[in-house]
Amino acid sequence: MKRPKIISLICILGFISVVFTFPAVFSPSVKKIGDFIPALYGFIVACSFISYIGLWHMKQWGVQLFFFIFFVKTLFLILINDLGPGTIAGIVLSVTFGIILLRFYRKMDLNL
Amino acid sequence: MLFFSLLKESIYFALHSLNANKLRTFLSLLGITIGIFAIIVVFTIVDSLENNIRKSIESLGDNVVFVQKWPWSFGPDYPWWKYMNRPVPHYDELFDIQKNSKTAQAVAYRIGARRVVKNRGNIVENAVITGCSYDYYKIKSFEIPDGRYFTENEVNVGNNVCLLGKSISDGLFPNGQYPIGKQIKIAGKKTTVIGIFKKEGESMLGNSMDNQVVIPFHFAKSILDIHSENSDPYIAVKARPGITNAQMIDELTGIMRGIRRLKPLADDDFALNETNLLSKGFSVIFDVIGVAGWIIGGFSILVGGFGIANIMFVSVKERTSMIGIQKSLGAKNYFILMQFLSESVFLSLIGGVLGLFLTWLITLAAKGNIEMEISLTQSNIILGITISVLIGIISGFVPAYTASQLDPVEAIRSN
Repeated sequence: MKRPKIISLICILGFISVVFTFPAVFSPSVKKIGDFIPALYGFIVACSFISYIGLWHMKQWGVQLFFFIFFVKTLFLILINDLGPGTIAGIVLSVTFGIILLRFYRKMDLNL
Repeated sequence: MLFFSLLKESIYFALHSLNANKLRTFLSLLGITIGIFAIIVVFTIVDSLENNIRKSIESLGDNVVFVQKWPWSFGPDYPWWKYMNRPVPHYDELFDIQKNSKTAQAVAYRIGARRVVKNRGNIVENAVITGCSYDYYKIKSFEIPDGRYFTENEVNVGNNVCLLGKSISDGLFPNGQYPIGKQIKIAGKKTTVIGIFKKEGESMLGNSMDNQVVIPFHFAKSILDIHSENSDPYIAVKARPGITNAQMIDELTGIMRGIRRLKPLADDDFALNETNLLSKGFSVIFDVIGVAGWIIGGFSILVGGFGIANIMFVSVKERTSMIGIQKSLGAKNYFILMQFLSESVFLSLIGGVLGLFLTWLITLAAKGNIEMEISLTQSNIILGITISVLIGIISGFVPAYTASQLDPVEAIRSN
């Protein structure tokens, strides 16, 4: 299946967000929260990046990984008590993306 | 189990490939090495400086407010000309605070200035002579492994007795001489040594006990000018347990205004300084240094990541026919993906470990040359490894995925 424009847009926005969130992994503010927090945050960023690659190639595992990371990330943000307006906006945006992705899920490729 | 055996096999393939191109491997991991080194070395130095300053501030006393002439923090509209005419805290004010304060656990007066200290031919110049009231030990944290602290009588009478910092003691009594009970001369006055402070090391705030000679206040009066601002006189007030600094500052403001007989509308002619003002000031500086290191190191890592992605694309191109053969023999897509991803992560991890090793060498070199303790902490090691693995995954995933999606027939034909 040819990639719909809306998914291309989601992927581009996703890649941009990865570029901006990647430096945060080793930012002094994240490091201050705890020793293993940068590692956990890094795992989330790496998986987000991989999920967008999967979505770009219209793979079902991309959507599955997207939802997995969404839940892990939300749980992480709740645990570190970072629930400001920016975070809430990010969650709303991810839910919107998730709904759009689910509409195309069945048409996506099942294989790796 | 199947996953682990596949992982083992893909790691073997990756190591074999890295070993086959040693120079290329070295050059591509150099970017990551420099990036990790830049970030971790800055974080290590910042952490060490912060630790040192935190220790120095803690040694000033927790929950302590200092009554002084000058405030420690000031904004752009700092009316210094008003503070110039303020009086310095006076010794008698100590007793008024002790009498009237309900929130204070201990109150101490302290003055200090630099003087020459002698023991026959051994001379220490610029030793910090600290004159204090009896309760000083309740506020300032220090240990006396040899000898003892002053008695209340020695302080009240002003006996010629002193406690020496470790550096001063080593300077005056070299070659393992035992200083307790011996007489030294402070600014020409004979004084008996009754105790030695435990070695503290260099302090960023310059308040290490190592360079101090502590004497009773009434004895200090004969050596130092107690009315001079140069003697830096202050009254330190420690709060009772459960009392906050804010509560104590409220009470002290009222007491000090009463002592100084200030009219209701008159400005305070004293400053009440807290140690947390220092901590806040320093944390702003360290945040800026940390962010600068983060930006510099971030760019190096970015360049390193591009280097690894580039080398992985080259690696995929070189081994296209081999990928084709592997796939035609039954290798799954995820096996090819894992193989190249492991290679990229390994490459990046080796770079990161080298960067951490270089940082560790720097800390070793620093130990011999700087008195301050600089050490590579667990959190910085975890951070370095995390960043290198992350870079390996992000820069290697696209080439590895491209390799995994190759058509076996076209891949075999490619060469």
